[in-house]
Amino acid sequence: MSLIAVVSGIRDTGVYRRHPSPLAWLVLMPLLAWLFLFVIAPTLMLVVVSFAERDALGRIVYDFTFQNYIRAFDWLWLKVLFSSLWYALLTTLICLFVGYPVAYFIGRAPLQWRGLLLMLVMVPFWTSFLIRTYAWITILSKDGLLNSLLVSAGIFSHSAEILYTPFAIVLGLVYNFLPFMILPIYTSVEKLDNALIEAAYDLGAGPIRAFSQIIIPLTRPGIAAGAMLVFVPSIAMFAITTLMGGGTNPTIGEVIFKQFTSGRNQPFGAALGSILLLIFVLALWITRKYREED
Amino acid sequence: MKKTTTLLLSALTAFLVGCGKAPEAKKLSVFCWSEYIPQSVIDQFSKETGIQVSVENYASNEEMLAKLTAGGGQYDIIQPSEYVVEALIAQKLLHPIDKTKIPNLSNIAPQFLKMGFDPDNSFSVPFMAGTVGIVVNTDLIKDDIKSFADVFKPENKGKIVVLDDAREITAWALLSQGLPINDVSDANLEKVKPVLANWLPMVKVFDSDSPKTALLNGDVAIGVVWGGEGAILLQSDPKFRWIIPAEGTHLFIDSLAIPKTAKNVDNAEAFMNFILRTDISKQISDAFPYTNPNLAARKILTEEQIRNKASFPSDEEMAKMQVFRDIGTQGSKVDELVTSLKAQ
Repeated sequence: MSLIAVVSGIRDTGVYRRHPSPLAWLVLMPLLAWLFLFVIAPTLMLVVVSFAERDALGRIVYDFTFQNYIRAFDWLWLKVLFSSLWYALLTTLICLFVGYPVAYFIGRAPLQWRGLLLMLVMVPFWTSFLIRTYAWITILSKDGLLNSLLVSAGIFSHSAEILYTPFAIVLGLVYNFLPFMILPIYTSVEKLDNALIEAAYDLGAGPIRAFSQIIIPLTRPGIAAGAMLVFVPSIAMFAITTLMGGGTNPTIGEVIFKQFTSGRNQPFGAALGSILLLIFVLALWITRKYREED
Repeated sequence: MKKTTTLLLSALTAFLVGCGKAPEAKKLSVFCWSEYIPQSVIDQFSKETGIQVSVENYASNEEMLAKLTAGGGQYDIIQPSEYVVEALIAQKLLHPIDKTKIPNLSNIAPQFLKMGFDPDNSFSVPFMAGTVGIVVNTDLIKDDIKSFADVFKPENKGKIVVLDDAREITAWALLSQGLPINDVSDANLEKVKPVLANWLPMVKVFDSDSPKTALLNGDVAIGVVWGGEGAILLQSDPKFRWIIPAEGTHLFIDSLAIPKTAKNVDNAEAFMNFILRTDISKQISDAFPYTNPNLAARKILTEEQIRNKASFPSDEEMAKMQVFRDIGTQGSKVDELVTSLKAQ
């Protein structure tokens, strides 16, 4: 249960400790059942399978072994993991630098505009991300929209290679996950107390100082949540990276996917998945710590 | 009271006995590749037989295997490729076929029957065959490409699309070294490692689902792709040329089979016979231009369809092709080899 406590942020401070009434348990039941069925049980299965073996057809054989973990720490897979972490980090940073000003602008915009602006951020979600990724392929390909425009405008002499490059991977990831950065920061910005900013100016702070010492710390929970929401899914994302990167840079998500399919090696995939899960839990735990210190 | 009990018991017995003898429900559950059996064919089968068909799709043989062996679904028809048929037979997971119920099997060309993976066709009937070959955009590449070795030349670096399939890529490297494609021993993998280390960095795109896209968009100029994809490219633009590699290539045969756990075996056999019917097989060829093993159906295809080199290779080319055999857990090593060279 300590895992859930960490993840959900329930702190065992003792102050609120009270025995829930049977009615409370009844109300909580659907949530607990959901958590058990779709979070705890699958996680346990993943961990159990990661210590198993498999036969020639890929069926799981329940013989206890550490082999999958030993193999997972081979430099090859670590390299793939690090490269995925690097892409995820880069994506998070770009999303932060692009998303923060947007979120700030929306959060400080006149009230009647905010709804519309937020809506514009969310509109892309109405279409499946796969379809939007295919749209990017049409735009970025060599004979695609962007290249034809740039060439006919005389900016480029011939079509540039944009699609199937690392640049395209990062573009795809940033495009897809940007709203996950904007929305949490927006909620923090919206709650900003104007009086504090004015006080900073009154006490002689310039715009830079007001921003770095007042606005940033006050919106930190939004930044942390946004960073988490972008970082975690972009590590494991494989559809965008293979479609826009051409599959030349294997990502950890793609490697795990292949273990469950063509590799016929679910236990090894499960071991890689468990390691990834551990990284996520650690990342969440660190953010949680960081937020507690504020 | 006693009377009622007896009555109930006898009714129950009658019901149970009746169940055992009852004819199969008018149902059929098909587990097949996505984009391989046209919906119109399924609809026509339902209309003609009154059998209600439910279809579930998969994107790779292994995905099908995983679901089948996990016992998740009840399937009456599956569509495995040759090496998977072999593995399923070895594991006793297929139901034997009553060939008297499939008279249309006589439509199939003998060269696709009685093959190594199922020597008597006791468990499988061929659905579609196909090959892997080279497509060249002759507007962009003027060289005369004849072989895998010609494709992976330094001047083509960054202009190549290949299937995202470790077993396929390794098979081409084995062929280029004159090694049999099914001998993936550690020693042979060691031999092809330098070949793959040389080839893989030249590849711009790895794509098994739709390798034609990168060729059509002009992002790459040359590709090693499925015959069906090649055939569509040839139909779309005369600038594309199809070449069967001089070293030989992989011939795949996708079959229809009945899993041991099937509930509606009679309906499944009726479906097999229906698929092998001349007019139905033609419909499938119209939608997915792979190598149709159905001789009777080939006779009613248009001349343009028959002339398509990517759909129908010459006998001479066919003679150089090899089918995959099951390589079991060695598949992991092949996968690891290709991944490690991609990530270098």
